[in-house]
Amino acid sequence: MPNATLSEPAAAFANEQRPRSMVYRATASVVVFALPIIAFLLIWEVAVRLGWVDATILPPPSTIVRRGWVLLNPSDLGQSILLAHIGVSLWRALISFALAAVLAIPLGFFLGLNKTAYLIVSPLLSLLLPLPAVAWTPIFLVSFGQGDLTIVAVCFLGAFFPILYSTIQGVRGIGRHSLWVVRSMGAGWFDIFRRVLLPGALPTLISGLKLGMAHSWRTLVAAEMLAALSHGLGFMIFAARSYMDVSTMFVGIVCLAVIGLLIERAVFGSLEAVTIRRWHGTGKLGSNR
Amino acid sequence: MSVDTARILPLRNGAGTNPKIVAKNIQKYFGNVLAMEDISCSINEREFVAIIGPSGCGKSTFLYLIAGFEKASHGELLINNVPITGPGPDRGIVFQEFVLFPWLTVLRNVTLGLDIKGVQRQEAEERARKWIRLTGLSGFEDAYPSTLSGGMKQRVAIARALTYDPEVLLLDEPFGALDVQTKNYMIQDLQNLWLEANRTIVMITHSVSEAVQLADRVLVLSSRPSRIIADVAIKLPHPRDLRDPLLRRHEDEITAILSAEVDKAMSLERQASAKAERRGS
Repeated sequence: MPNATLSEPAAAFANEQRPRSMVYRATASVVVFALPIIAFLLIWEVAVRLGWVDATILPPPSTIVRRGWVLLNPSDLGQSILLAHIGVSLWRALISFALAAVLAIPLGFFLGLNKTAYLIVSPLLSLLLPLPAVAWTPIFLVSFGQGDLTIVAVCFLGAFFPILYSTIQGVRGIGRHSLWVVRSMGAGWFDIFRRVLLPGALPTLISGLKLGMAHSWRTLVAAEMLAALSHGLGFMIFAARSYMDVSTMFVGIVCLAVIGLLIERAVFGSLEAVTIRRWHGTGKLGSNR
Repeated sequence: MSVDTARILPLRNGAGTNPKIVAKNIQKYFGNVLAMEDISCSINEREFVAIIGPSGCGKSTFLYLIAGFEKASHGELLINNVPITGPGPDRGIVFQEFVLFPWLTVLRNVTLGLDIKGVQRQEAEERARKWIRLTGLSGFEDAYPSTLSGGMKQRVAIARALTYDPEVLLLDEPFGALDVQTKNYMIQDLQNLWLEANRTIVMITHSVSEAVQLADRVLVLSSRPSRIIADVAIKLPHPRDLRDPLLRRHEDEITAILSAEVDKAMSLERQASAKAERRGS
């Protein structure tokens, strides 16, 4: 086979190169990722120290780290204020995200497969998808009052529409010939779902979940500022405003950014690595293979 | 291969005389458009039939009717004397654009039909390996489709359709998406596969040389609304050589019928557009 002779040396080459370069590549990618951030923090620190900016409005990174250390209270993590805020925020964001996924995915499959239902719902979706979920907060405040229920409801809406929309698009993007192939093998509905619809929609579905989680996380902050009775990073940031405690606000912002990044990289990154990146690893603009 | 050595090589294990697929006065409308006027034919057991026709004549639609993906507007379509009501595992299909599942390895793609049937893993893999070997895919069992070339992908699709052992194999322009070199190579390379498969095969194609090289019989369809305008038996042993003068004669014969039909279709089309233009001005 001409094809085989072409690809075999390439595969052997890749295998030979892998063991030594794995560690090197991992370190290199961390450095490449961290370097711009470190440079940015240095410029920031220097700018404040040289008095180019007012330290009471923009505290230097060293002050923020010190403040974060105090809030974290590493000597007794059980009494850590920062961890308590983070825990409550994570719990709210995750429960809203999970609820949204559990409801949006089945509904998305139904709407993706049922043309009539899709035609009816699609205009509504086009209206609701771009609407920032935070806008609903006052309405929920009226009916549920301040507290977790309002925050979770708002975050739920933030996560629901991206997941629903992506699931629908994922299902609708599956070619009818794919269904025909398994139907001609005698597949029933369950086999069609399990072997074609679900894996076929998965790449789009995963980006929907990623978006959903990101929306849930960013909606959370605003919702916590408006509706939290106690705890939560949004609450912490907003409460610090009364004491002009800018460093605490920045600690909150840094936590939000880092946790958001970790969720995206650790959870969805590994989910993608075992699924779509294995299937479509080569030849894409964003891939390094 | 000279004509003489070809003589002693086997014919396909005797296309049977029992009709496998029978079409009686098939008519197909898409909305108000009549795509198939009247198609009647009988395809025998273990016969390799190629269906050829001008583009847009509804060749693929006819294949989808046999596969059970589409329904005829009028007429009767039988397999083993039973009307076709929907797709089923007695008919396997290979599409022009492969339609592999990127989340399954080559082996898993090939065993898919048996997995759906609920065949034990070990038996499924054993049965798959035979067709993986015959399609020339050995060594690629654990590769994902995204790493394969077009020709290799189509080999996987063919192995996948044969592994669950359908009585009829439906090929929808199986070499249409491949470059010329790969296509010629594959047609040569897979000649023995069809002998080995030894079952009823219906192939849609727009290439006369492909049709005469592979098929026992070539049906030529007219342009839309389609009818069968020629039914050419090619009684030459396999594997065939395109340089065989007898094969050449068949090729020329069918090409002549087809180009006359294409000319007719083109001039009708031109008249229609001219009329539309006159009406427009």
